[in-house]
Amino acid sequence: MIKNESGLKLTASKMTKIRKIVSLTLIYTALVLFAIWILAPFSMVIITSFKTRKEASDPVFHFFPEKWSFDGYKEVFTYTSGVDDSEIPVMLKGFLNTLIIVLPPTIIGLFVSAMSAYAFAKLRFKGKNVFFSALLLTMMIPGTIMLTPSYLIYDMLGWVDTPLPLMLPGMFGAATCVFFMRQFYAGIPTSLVEAAKLDGMGYFKIFWKIMVPLSVPALFAQGILGFIGGYNDYFGPYLYLHEPEWYTLQLALASFKGTYSYNIPTVMAGALVALIPALVIYIVAQKYFIEGIATSGMKI
Amino acid sequence: MFIDKVYRKKIKVKREEVFGFALSMGPVLGFALFGLIPMILAIFMSFMDIYGFTFEGAGFVGFENYGTVLKDPLFWKSIVNTLYMGVATFINIALALMVAFLLTKNVRGKKVFRTIYFIPYVCSVVAITVMWQWIFNTNYGIINAIFTPEGQEPVNWWGRADTFIPCLLIMGVWSGTGYGIILYGAALTNVNSSLYEAAKVDGANSFKSFWHITIPAISPTTFYLLITGIIGALQEFARPQIISGSGGPDNVGVTVVFYLYRSAFQYYEMGIASATAWLLAILIVGLTVINFAMSKLWVSYD
Repeated sequence: MIKNESGLKLTASKMTKIRKIVSLTLIYTALVLFAIWILAPFSMVIITSFKTRKEASDPVFHFFPEKWSFDGYKEVFTYTSGVDDSEIPVMLKGFLNTLIIVLPPTIIGLFVSAMSAYAFAKLRFKGKNVFFSALLLTMMIPGTIMLTPSYLIYDMLGWVDTPLPLMLPGMFGAATCVFFMRQFYAGIPTSLVEAAKLDGMGYFKIFWKIMVPLSVPALFAQGILGFIGGYNDYFGPYLYLHEPEWYTLQLALASFKGTYSYNIPTVMAGALVALIPALVIYIVAQKYFIEGIATSGMKI
Repeated sequence: MFIDKVYRKKIKVKREEVFGFALSMGPVLGFALFGLIPMILAIFMSFMDIYGFTFEGAGFVGFENYGTVLKDPLFWKSIVNTLYMGVATFINIALALMVAFLLTKNVRGKKVFRTIYFIPYVCSVVAITVMWQWIFNTNYGIINAIFTPEGQEPVNWWGRADTFIPCLLIMGVWSGTGYGIILYGAALTNVNSSLYEAAKVDGANSFKSFWHITIPAISPTTFYLLITGIIGALQEFARPQIISGSGGPDNVGVTVVFYLYRSAFQYYEMGIASATAWLLAILIVGLTVINFAMSKLWVSYD
């Protein structure tokens, strides 16, 4: 009797063990399959970028190149449009233009947003709640409405074909960033601010000497998100920059695709090269990246 | 002495008022300049017959622009196209939840999986579109190279009206799930674990506890993904435009924003473009309001 019972117990625990192994196997299979689904297009594009032009358009398909070729990449780094006099390759120029256009508004906008978030979180002033709610509401407004009038205004000001329409608005900060940073500053004890006030610190000094140092990781997260957003933007530059001289990297890539439409390895190499800076930032600063996204999306 | 103190305090309060206002105003001013003024201008423009980028010679024409747009079959087609492309939003949410849920299980390499899943989100729309345009390319694309049976004509994926948008959907699911996975990942770890214990004691199986505990607990995230996803999807432009600048086969690539863009910058009909923008805005705001109203039925903030 006793023996029998313990035997039953053994099979029962064995059963749960087997069930656990089976379910874990299924979970791993699903996760790996999903990873393959994400990575397969990249790997195929990478492999193709190393083919010769002839092989990539060969009706007989080979998965791996018969001869690994760097011609595509050579083209990406040396192609000059010849439209303007500069000898700088189009893609490199696009990258530099992107930095010039995206970095200043990202940094200044971040600072302005943080300052505003600090005021909304820690200072008392008239109309504070009204202004903050209004700012939140603006996040819901589809940007498309502003498209035609903005273009008209910028055209009248003579700003079309200059980076100004892409740079100036961002320097006033962004509602999403204010929202995120305010959440962060609200978590810092007000007693800290009061103590600083007793020490004779001014309101701006409190922000600069206490709030900013305390929020470096959060600022970093927002800054990275903002930079990647600007770096990857297509519609804005497409709308306002028609001269190759000011093409951002994304515009350069789009025009590159047009120029080399029958040279597949070169186009693939161009796309991959354009991705590398964003991917490097993502991998290096992954922690901030994911935290920034997870928290900004969660708290609405 | 006493008066001095009161006076000082008053100045201090005033200083806080001034600083609070001054420091907070950057984004508010930015919105007024680059949001509010254009928006008000857009209302006027939508009622004017503006040709080109100038108000010269433009007059008020009442609702004529709206009438023109609403009577244009291509506008209605652009709405259908946009909504069709927007289907990816729903697939993404469902898929993201499933993957994020699997990632809460006791598996190794969670971080690696998460890193991989999120990669497409970091990539630019141009690069992604260039990649997928090749993947579905008729003669040289990898899909046709692998799957076309011997002796059969390869499918012209981007050249057929019935395959153009499905290809975009596949692309959208590929690039769009990572974001949801991250948000759901954060939401799932915040679900109160004592609820699961209680359900287990009550004899609920894992499916039941997922349905009755997990889904309601993460409903705010679902709601957020739905709202932002729909608003984003309705403003689709880049992908179909990069693939086919002329609007794709039988105009299936023409989204509402693409339609608006063409009115404004190819036909220089700024009035009609502004009317289109407001119609789109009404559609977006309308759907958002419906979403918020319906959210009371299924979104629970504990």
